[in-house]
Amino acid sequence: MTAQELGASLQQTFGDKILQVNSPQPGRLYVTIDPDSVVEVAAHLQDDLGCRFVVNAGTDRRRQRGKFLITHFFAKDEDGIYIALHAEVDEDDPRIPSITPVVPAANWGEREFHDMVGVVPEGHPDPRRLVLADDWPEDLYPLRWDVEHGIKPPIADCTPERKPPPEGSSVVPIGPYFPALEEPAYFRIFVEGEEVVGADYRGFYNHRGIEKVGCSVLTYNQIPFIAERICGICGCVHSTCYCQAIEQAAGIEIPLRAKYLRTIMLELERIQSHLLWLGIAGHIIGFDTVLMQVWRMREPLMWLCERLTGNRKTYATNVIGGVRRDIEPDAYDDVRSVIKEIEREWQALYDSIPGDTTLMARLRGTGMLPKDMAIEHCAVGPTGRGSGVEIDVRVDHPYAAYDRLDVKKCVHDGCDNLARTLVRLDETLVSIGIIRQALDDIPEGPVLAEVSEDIPAGRQAISTVEAPRGEVFHWVLTGEDNRPERWRVRAPTYANLQVVPPMLAGSALADVPINIGSFDPCFSCTDRMEVLDINSGQLRTCSAEDLSNCRR
Amino acid sequence: MILSKLKQALICLLAGRVTLPYPAKPHPPDEGFRGYPEVDVDKCIGCGACAAVCPARLIKIEDLDQTTRRITRLLERCIFCGRCAEVCPEDAITMTRQFELASDQARQDLTHQCEIFMATCRRCGACYQPATPLDRIMQPGFRSDEIDRGGDLCQYENVCLESQQAENTTATVGEGE
Repeated sequence: MTAQELGASLQQTFGDKILQVNSPQPGRLYVTIDPDSVVEVAAHLQDDLGCRFVVNAGTDRRRQRGKFLITHFFAKDEDGIYIALHAEVDEDDPRIPSITPVVPAANWGEREFHDMVGVVPEGHPDPRRLVLADDWPEDLYPLRWDVEHGIKPPIADCTPERKPPPEGSSVVPIGPYFPALEEPAYFRIFVEGEEVVGADYRGFYNHRGIEKVGCSVLTYNQIPFIAERICGICGCVHSTCYCQAIEQAAGIEIPLRAKYLRTIMLELERIQSHLLWLGIAGHIIGFDTVLMQVWRMREPLMWLCERLTGNRKTYATNVIGGVRRDIEPDAYDDVRSVIKEIEREWQALYDSIPGDTTLMARLRGTGMLPKDMAIEHCAVGPTGRGSGVEIDVRVDHPYAAYDRLDVKKCVHDGCDNLARTLVRLDETLVSIGIIRQALDDIPEGPVLAEVSEDIPAGRQAISTVEAPRGEVFHWVLTGEDNRPERWRVRAPTYANLQVVPPMLAGSALADVPINIGSFDPCFSCTDRMEVLDINSGQLRTCSAEDLSNCRR
Repeated sequence: MILSKLKQALICLLAGRVTLPYPAKPHPPDEGFRGYPEVDVDKCIGCGACAAVCPARLIKIEDLDQTTRRITRLLERCIFCGRCAEVCPEDAITMTRQFELASDQARQDLTHQCEIFMATCRRCGACYQPATPLDRIMQPGFRSDEIDRGGDLCQYENVCLESQQAENTTATVGEGE
């Protein structure tokens, strides 16, 4: 089924509730619908057509249209189609029916657009704040165009809304700094004895407002470098994804060599991210030899990236139109020898794992995420593939040079921590194969397309990249003043973290850190957070109240 | 189990000692590393291209008077992307391999400031950079013995590009009517 056919079938099913259907790029369908029918269209896409919910976005279009734009994004993976359901909401009465009761994965996204642009998702089962601090003023919606990007409201008294624990259970707090990953996240684990009966998550403690900066201060070609800093581990995926979105919107065709170079850097990044995760997972379960040895294996790869791009991480290679730095043919052998050494070490490591009963006891049968739960909550990446969900953006929605390379989906159906570990181990090998093939096939030629014309306003594009943690999603609506009007980022952890509270129920308290860790959560990706400098200089003990005052 | 542990022990033993003696011994990064951006003030023409592309927005350009442009770089905010070096038309910026920039007085140690001599536009009074180096040294004020030069200026001498374009546009519109 092509995007046009899907659009026509939606028009046939819903008639005049579909206001506009548009498919400017292959595999992309933009549908404008009547806001009152959003629930039935979303339910039809998910339940009848088998689409996977991706994310939603709220945009303030009062300047252009006098309305707020609420968008729900779906993916039809088997046909390689992304669908955007736009609904325009009146500015005097900003409310839209919530789709969370029928599409549970929409939970966070709807709370986020409520926080950020002030459109109320009516009938939402859990309408607490998600992104904004608890003491943020009620009527200040940061993503509205008339709100300054640098505002800092004063700290105020507040009582955070917390989910009450079930009757008879106690609360074990993990956070506000996650102990193993040293990132801000606050889990409240509800336990009865050793058994977990439920959980609540609060994150977004330090929101950086990167989308706001991108849409109000920066210009098109400054954003890739900020996008790269959304995540400290998989930055290249965000800059690639953003550049692809702009290139798609503006109709820029980048040179083939640039596509290959992007592919090579993305795969090198995947290898280092998976090795990093394996080390962290060993650390979480108290097996620090794994941490030390795997990170030793990873180090030559970091040096390789430094030689290729000028830095270990945050390669800064992507700009709109291609890449900035070519890989000289002399360096190919350097890349080959580094990945060959990793392959050899990886094999030695892989051989020593299955016989290790301690490791198996911690991984096998723990952190069960059944396949239907993974599908219901739209888990992506190794989290989904460890539960038998066969999705991989590189295969389903090919980008860069992946349509010319052999990419194998690594799927395990054990649904436990071991399955998620095996997926990542297998993917490391697949990535090594992809890099070898890309180095053999890479054509000669320029690496950067000339972008001379201005990018017209009012165009939109959806771009996705398979990050080490899953699907990264960027949606761009181009605007005036050489910058996007709206740039929406969905990191994979945003989807995967939502499945944590239901998944934890029934596991043992001692397994909670590795269960959460097995998702490879990247809290700062999700938060898009910032570090503020606070100059107190004096050492003092903080009470719980002080800590909650530091929230922003 | 024991076999598995032996294999793991072998991995560790084969690796041996990998820790480098840094910082006792220096460990310079490879060629092409993007470290501290060094500015050659003599080459800088004050065009402001670096300020326009800098993603961290750390380059501030002020015109102190009609012939002096001050460029301030607050490099404590630098993200070392090297865009400034890439766009500089005069290759005045080089990304060095210097990475040991930690300082307890980052604001003082990592602020770079330079003042560039600029020409003054006869029409709008703004600072601008003359088209060629020869034009530059012919500007009044560039050399002290040239201060009282003047008189035989051609139509666009000492006029910035923006004013020339504005003038041309007006002229074309006028002809159309």
